[in-house]
Amino acid sequence: MAQQQFSVVGKKTPRIDAYERVTGQAQYAGDYQLPNMLYARVLRSPYPHAKIVSIDASKAEKLPGVKAVIHHQNSQVPWASGGLTQKRMIFNNPVRYVGDAVAAVAATDRHIAEDALSLIEVKYEKLPHVLDANEALKPDAPKIYPKGNLSVGDGRVSAPITEQWGDLEKGFKEADKIFEDTYISKHVNNAQLERRASLAKWDGGKLTVWASTQGVSNTRTDIAKDLGLPLSKVRVICKYMGGGFGNKNQAQDYDLMTAVLARVTGQPVKLEFTREDDFIGMHGRWASEQRYKVGVKNDGTITAVDFYGVTNMGAYRKQTGDLGGCDFYQIPNFKKVVNPTHTNTVIGANYRAPSYPESVFGFASMLDQIAYELGVNPYDLFLRNRARLSKGKIPFTSNAQEECIIEGAKRIGWKEKWHKPGAAPGPKKHGIGMALGGYPFRLGLGAATIRVNPDGTAHVLVGVVDIGTGAKSTMAIVAAEALGIPLSQIQLTNGDTDVTPFSIGESGSRTTSFTAPAVIAAAEDVRKQIFSIAAPELKAKAEDLDLKDGIVFVKSDPAQKLPLNKALRRVESELIGRATTNPTWKGVDGKSFAAHFAEVEVDIFTGQVRITRYVAAHDSGTIINRLAAESQMKGGVVQGIGMALTEELLTDRPTAIPINPNYRDAKIPTHLEVPEVEVIFIEPYDPYGPFGGKSVGEPPITPAVATVANAIFNATGKRIKEIPITPDKILRAVQV
Amino acid sequence: MEEEVKGKGVSRRDFLKGLGGGAIGTAVISTGLLDPGKVEAYPTESIGTSRGKSAVNLKVNGKAYRLEVEHRETLAEALRDQLGFTGTKIGCDRGECGACTVVINGRNIYSCSQLAVWMQGKEILTIEGLARGEKLDPLQEAFIEGDGPQCGFCTSGQIMSGKALLMRNSNPTEAHVKKELSGNLCRCGNYNREVAAVLAAAAKGR
Repeated sequence: MAQQQFSVVGKKTPRIDAYERVTGQAQYAGDYQLPNMLYARVLRSPYPHAKIVSIDASKAEKLPGVKAVIHHQNSQVPWASGGLTQKRMIFNNPVRYVGDAVAAVAATDRHIAEDALSLIEVKYEKLPHVLDANEALKPDAPKIYPKGNLSVGDGRVSAPITEQWGDLEKGFKEADKIFEDTYISKHVNNAQLERRASLAKWDGGKLTVWASTQGVSNTRTDIAKDLGLPLSKVRVICKYMGGGFGNKNQAQDYDLMTAVLARVTGQPVKLEFTREDDFIGMHGRWASEQRYKVGVKNDGTITAVDFYGVTNMGAYRKQTGDLGGCDFYQIPNFKKVVNPTHTNTVIGANYRAPSYPESVFGFASMLDQIAYELGVNPYDLFLRNRARLSKGKIPFTSNAQEECIIEGAKRIGWKEKWHKPGAAPGPKKHGIGMALGGYPFRLGLGAATIRVNPDGTAHVLVGVVDIGTGAKSTMAIVAAEALGIPLSQIQLTNGDTDVTPFSIGESGSRTTSFTAPAVIAAAEDVRKQIFSIAAPELKAKAEDLDLKDGIVFVKSDPAQKLPLNKALRRVESELIGRATTNPTWKGVDGKSFAAHFAEVEVDIFTGQVRITRYVAAHDSGTIINRLAAESQMKGGVVQGIGMALTEELLTDRPTAIPINPNYRDAKIPTHLEVPEVEVIFIEPYDPYGPFGGKSVGEPPITPAVATVANAIFNATGKRIKEIPITPDKILRAVQV
Repeated sequence: MEEEVKGKGVSRRDFLKGLGGGAIGTAVISTGLLDPGKVEAYPTESIGTSRGKSAVNLKVNGKAYRLEVEHRETLAEALRDQLGFTGTKIGCDRGECGACTVVINGRNIYSCSQLAVWMQGKEILTIEGLARGEKLDPLQEAFIEGDGPQCGFCTSGQIMSGKALLMRNSNPTEAHVKKELSGNLCRCGNYNREVAAVLAAAAKGR
């Protein structure tokens, strides 16, 4: 189906739940209150590595209002998704980082719960600790686990992570020049506005959890497994969710703590994280060190890349720890080795496009530097090395990366504005930079149910949680398009495991490509039922009918038509369409692509960077909702700007205590730092994606960090190889 | 809207004595013991702190309330927990993110950084008080049309800061808007949209 034939897809559609979001009616996990509800708080380790010798909670338990104190001695509950290479419990002994959960208290009021934390007496025996990933890999480093600090697991959490194709030696032989360099990225927190909250209630043997999650189905599975309950006895609900960007996937320890506290007190319990808890108690983006060896021809063509990376996963391995920044280029000979490593720091795990923006920063900075060394315009070098095949050999399902580069460059005026690095007059120096990014586009398991009522309205049921992406609206738009009824006639229920069908989890930019095919298939299912009912009315065969804009008509003679409510007038109950889909492909690979461009002004007296213009050109296939997709792109860029310029979770070396676990000191971007982000969509119709769409949420953050970094290089002529590029680093560089 | 009087009834200490002492400390709560039949449910009780409480008279969204508030209770907590105005969100609880922004006597204020007990005689406007019946405030309409909310958690605060600005200045520049909203963080990074929505609402109101 070509784009112009869509009636709902591709328009600028306000979110179907925007009203609730602007009137304060949207209920998030922390907003629910139940009768007799208790409040819970978590006590965390003040030491980076220590054995708990004893816990005495008696004083806390005596505080009026305190109902329960749980800790590793009385609550041995596993948290399977919290540690993929080592068994992790909700409370661990030894504790392995400053922030590791030690105990949780439920009380009649949140302030009493807080007071009680300070009354819990814990005796620790300090153990040697290690904070730096490279240090942790040395043979004499303090061991966090008996087998050592390289985080070795199975499958996607194996170590080292390796990838190889072509012939590296041959590739370097073919090179005219070889460049080597190291780039560093730091730990940054997802910092979503909604603090974690979980509300648990038991009705007899059945547990209901109002969670702030990116996936009700996997949260239910995890809770059931960790608590030893049948799936039918766990209900997880998440109707509105205040952001997560990857740190609210799966069930988390606080969901389990809340369930246990509710069980032992016999009362509903709401556990709330403080903002500090949120910064240190869950996870942020893994820090990395990246060493590149790149062989190039004199014209900038890459002949070989040898890449070694070390990623700091903190005390527990929750995710891969991979680095994927080389994925957006044509590299004929390639080798990658990445060592995900344990240290006694806050956990490094998923944050929007895990493994990408930090390593796109490294590799695209490397390429930008190579362009400079070779005397080639970076635009030409990026264009020349654009990705034609995935992993050097597999065709993409669709690929408009080249158009993204060309159109983005045109929009920002690259040809007119690019100048030799450092050549602009000062002290406020102009710079322009670019980088390439994107994110995998994948297919997988999805499910949907659609009920069509006799009055022609429809009710869509999907398990997806709308984490801010507009997924609810996307599903409603897809349903309206696939059914052939107006969007205004669609009602949607989501995010409740007792009511809605399975959803894979709203992470990895896969909500649309996994669940929308199921919505389309469920629509097909119910359309068939509609047509067989309408066929006698229209004196036609069911297969000769179509439905558009709520009108059933004969394809060969559209004048023969009936409004849907008339066609269904003899239906007393409802028609139900259902589908579980799991599409696959063979011999191809999927990717969304992006090319970003920024102009900056760098004050070489103060080191301040101001981004004056930003252009984000994206190939995400067909755009289902232009309004929400554009917001996503803008937002990804803003997060990338924070990573590039200001954000870092700092740790005090001697004590290993994170010293800036709050918004102000972690310096997330505000209204004042953000330029207008101009978004361009190039829309190849992807033959595998629902209505031709690919992934949207994660691509925009991937090139943003490198784009800003390369613009700073163009302004100053100095390459800063560690993010965030703070004023002190710029001043040190320009004054040398 | 007065809260029930706390601090009466069975004290925690008495309760623990009744159980033979240290029930919680010694109970082993493990996966295997989560069988509903085996775990003692604790009786419902209401034990508050004996710390100070005072009554305050305030107006929220045009309606007068008399609240019994703990001295350490913030306005954000009182609005959410006592009055059920949960549209006011708490993002950081330390005066940094602005999700809890309300308008007090015409100014945008972080309600997490105001004690409820200070609100005697104050007029507070929350997100729930913006619409006139079915009719949304132009700011709310502009936030819908211009995709102001992504996750929506900061949205109430962004709108309330916009409201405070438009109450004083019906014709703000983009720079005015950015400055007025600069204390309202949006991690979804939807800043462009939020500023545009405030400007659109201002244009609508003229």
